[in-house]
Amino acid sequence: MSKKDIESALARGVEILNEFLPLQTTLYFPILYSACVWAVRRVFDYRERLFSWQVWLDPEEVRTKPDEFVLHFFATHEALGRAYAAELAGRDIGALRAAFPALYAVCGLEDAFLKALFRKELESGDYRRIAADFALRAAKARADIRPAEADARFWPALESLGPELAALGVHLLKDAEVRKAVINAIKKRAAKGGAEGG
Amino acid sequence: MGSSRAVRFRALFALALALLSASGCATHLRNAKAAYAEAQEFSRRYQTEQALAAYKRSLVESGLEARKNPSAQAFMLKGMAEVNLGLWGDAELSFVKASGLGFEAGEAWASDVSLLGLAISFEELGLGDPALRAYENLLGKSAFKPVRLAAAQRYFDLTLLRTLGLGDKEKSRALADLAKVVDRLEAGDFACGFYHYFHSQVESHRGDQRRSYEEAVTARELGLPSEKILRDNDNQIVFCYDTLAGALPASERDVFTAAHASWTKKWGWKDARTPGWKQE
Repeated sequence: MSKKDIESALARGVEILNEFLPLQTTLYFPILYSACVWAVRRVFDYRERLFSWQVWLDPEEVRTKPDEFVLHFFATHEALGRAYAAELAGRDIGALRAAFPALYAVCGLEDAFLKALFRKELESGDYRRIAADFALRAAKARADIRPAEADARFWPALESLGPELAALGVHLLKDAEVRKAVINAIKKRAAKGGAEGG
Repeated sequence: MGSSRAVRFRALFALALALLSASGCATHLRNAKAAYAEAQEFSRRYQTEQALAAYKRSLVESGLEARKNPSAQAFMLKGMAEVNLGLWGDAELSFVKASGLGFEAGEAWASDVSLLGLAISFEELGLGDPALRAYENLLGKSAFKPVRLAAAQRYFDLTLLRTLGLGDKEKSRALADLAKVVDRLEAGDFACGFYHYFHSQVESHRGDQRRSYEEAVTARELGLPSEKILRDNDNQIVFCYDTLAGALPASERDVFTAAHASWTKKWGWKDARTPGWKQE
């Protein structure tokens, strides 16, 4: 496995996304990170995967949980417990319930795409921002990806990435390293775009 | 001579077109069936994303088949794919068409799907009472399992949401009634893991975490319809485990944690509190 080769493959992925989704840079990380997750699992039907992640936003499970379950969720998740320490200490179940649906979908049920969509907030521990922005940002991601979904050239371009990443051994990297590599590839492209533009 | 060659060419071309068209139709129907079977197999293995993708493929193929060569089978397959994707309005139309073309159960399925779609619309408009009545009706009478399960999920969710605002006595009565509903459902189909999942949720609201734990374990063993529900059920198991382990006397706690350890080992969990799918 060569990290350099993986970085080149990811850079190519960013180029593909830049071609088909030039204005939706917020989607680059979720799409590429998901691609790496799927590459690890040797699943390369990207088109179907990108179609189907949206279904995670629809309710399937029983959403109404007892107060004790909601409290337990916040209290046993270390970072969430810190972020909502005041509400937990005061047993402010109203405030916790208001934040619960978004945070449970991202941190409780752990969908890779949704987690990637809120990567910055997760890394900075800004859980309140996730709760506030969840509905809007998820709806935006759903709308933004539509033009690329309709472009027949997009899928073969993206699908070639999975086997390449798997062959390069992306599965041997730790999750944090994968995230870092994806972020670096996106940052490099942004810097290059900035230099070209001005 | 030239003219007869032209006639022969036209005839051959027409024949080739007919063959191509026929094989195309057969391929669409075959593809739709294969994708549907694949989706069901994925569902059985909790591979929800792949299952949904396969249902979508089945929908595209059966839609093409129904357009080119309308038949009861094509519309029935299309309707089934739509049901599994939650496209209730489209499914109703497909079952009506399938019924018109000779699929006997189509009319009843269309009617059930239509009622479910109506109930969902009521709920979205904030009309909880008529929505609940419709869900309850479907739970009691629908012979179409996908509709019964979708109605059950919404019925339990909506009813539990309402209990949150009740006083202690009313809440306790409402939850006892809900437990009776789930008992009835289980009596009709004990092997349905989804019903045990509902039971676990209801018992948790009643504060009986021991029973909730047992039902959640049963649900996991019998199987659940999607990975998302499986994960929610796993979270419920962890919540019950923590609650019980903290509340039981030492002797009982040891027996309980040993039993729990044997389940989690079987399920491939990382430890007593960490399901295999959890990264954090």
